[in-house]
Amino acid sequence: MLKQSDAIVLRTYPLREADLLVTLFTREEGKIRGVARSAKRSKRRFGGALEPLTRVRAYYDQKQGQELVRLDSFDVIESPLMHDIDYERTVALSYVAEVLDGLLPDHDVNDAVFRLTLSVLPHLEAGSIWMPLTYFDLWMTRLMGLLPELGACIVCGDELNGSGRVFFHALADGLMCAEHKRLASSEMSLPSRQLAAEMFRSPVDAFAAEPWKRQRGADLRKFLAQCIERHIEGKLVTSIALAKLD
Amino acid sequence: MSKFAEPMARLIDELKKLPGIGGKTAQRLAFHILRASDEDADLLANSIREVKASLHLCSVCNNITDVDPCVYCSSATRNQRLVCVVEEPTNIAAIEKTRSFNGVYHVLHGALSPLHGVGPEHLRLTSLSQRVDRGEIDELIIATNPTVEGEATATYISRMLKSFPVKLTRIATGIPAGSDIEYADEVTMAKAIEGRREL
Ligand SMILES: [Zn+2]
Ligand SMILES: [Zn+2]
Repeated sequence: MLKQSDAIVLRTYPLREADLLVTLFTREEGKIRGVARSAKRSKRRFGGALEPLTRVRAYYDQKQGQELVRLDSFDVIESPLMHDIDYERTVALSYVAEVLDGLLPDHDVNDAVFRLTLSVLPHLEAGSIWMPLTYFDLWMTRLMGLLPELGACIVCGDELNGSGRVFFHALADGLMCAEHKRLASSEMSLPSRQLAAEMFRSPVDAFAAEPWKRQRGADLRKFLAQCIERHIEGKLVTSIALAKLD
Repeated sequence: MSKFAEPMARLIDELKKLPGIGGKTAQRLAFHILRASDEDADLLANSIREVKASLHLCSVCNNITDVDPCVYCSSATRNQRLVCVVEEPTNIAAIEKTRSFNGVYHVLHGALSPLHGVGPEHLRLTSLSQRVDRGEIDELIIATNPTVEGEATATYISRMLKSFPVKLTRIATGIPAGSDIEYADEVTMAKAIEGRREL
């Protein structure tokens, strides 16, 4: 009998002549990998369903002792192709896909991250990527246990309240006070720290009406991306593309 | 120790680098080449060398060609002011097969692909805007794939060229001719309805 699950397509890799290897974040089983036979050549079975961050109902089966599942078919529930696509939005979608793929362990059910992704996706529209990306980064790092305490200096433990300046560094596992910052640290502004606190209190929809320039929360996103990259022990390919957007 | 003589192992290794060729297939091809006549083996080796030596990119459209400009760009019977933008040189053959397009091409050599680290600076976009800027083009038909990457590339081009007096069009997507609506996937169907035309 075929298994089925609500799922989000993360990315695909060419496999042999005509097949695709698909990384899939399923609600029932966490991240799994499967083979979509003939998907490269014949689009009949999968159509546009294999684009990164397509939400699907996935039908698949798994033979005992085999690492890869056999993907039977996908019903598209929501596709990024159904809304306007521009380069910015494509970079943002790819970033979310790369972060999910990089941070989620195989076969580890994570309903909170699944719901986070579903809540952020509708806000990732052409022309408005920075708010949903900030929200995603913040909650993703927290849900995966990668977010350090934001209220205290990691060196001296002093409380970081509104009055003093606060710094971070790619190699430091948290925020630092002015006295203990490392050489070539970046500064995290007070509005960005307040923003993080607000985002932990409210659903993503609460921020949708606000106009949001790229600069807003840029220091916070940089800090969060560094947390992620420390964990995956490498640079995110898509964060380079994000940094080049103007 | 390898189970093959060193030159054989090397040939198998090289063949394995080709797309879609696994270890088994590489071995079969290598033994086929070994059994072939000296003449056939020479022909194969020479044609590989020749491809690399004689083919290059057309200086106008970036198509792969042995003459410059390529056959399309130097054709007197083709409409040189109607340009179809494609991702790969192989896409040209698909369009030529229809015999319904009499313009010329511009090959981007890829599509914008953040997950693969392909950004605007990696595509042949500068030469495209130069062609437009020189006033050589009346209409650009953007024929990138109907994927997220292809669509992103199409909108990127349209923004890049928005200040130029050039007509920009996008190929239609939808239900394949001769197929059944019942079997169309959701995305294709939505695109087909979006791109409907008046009768
Ligand atoms: Zn301190
Ligand atoms: Zn040419």
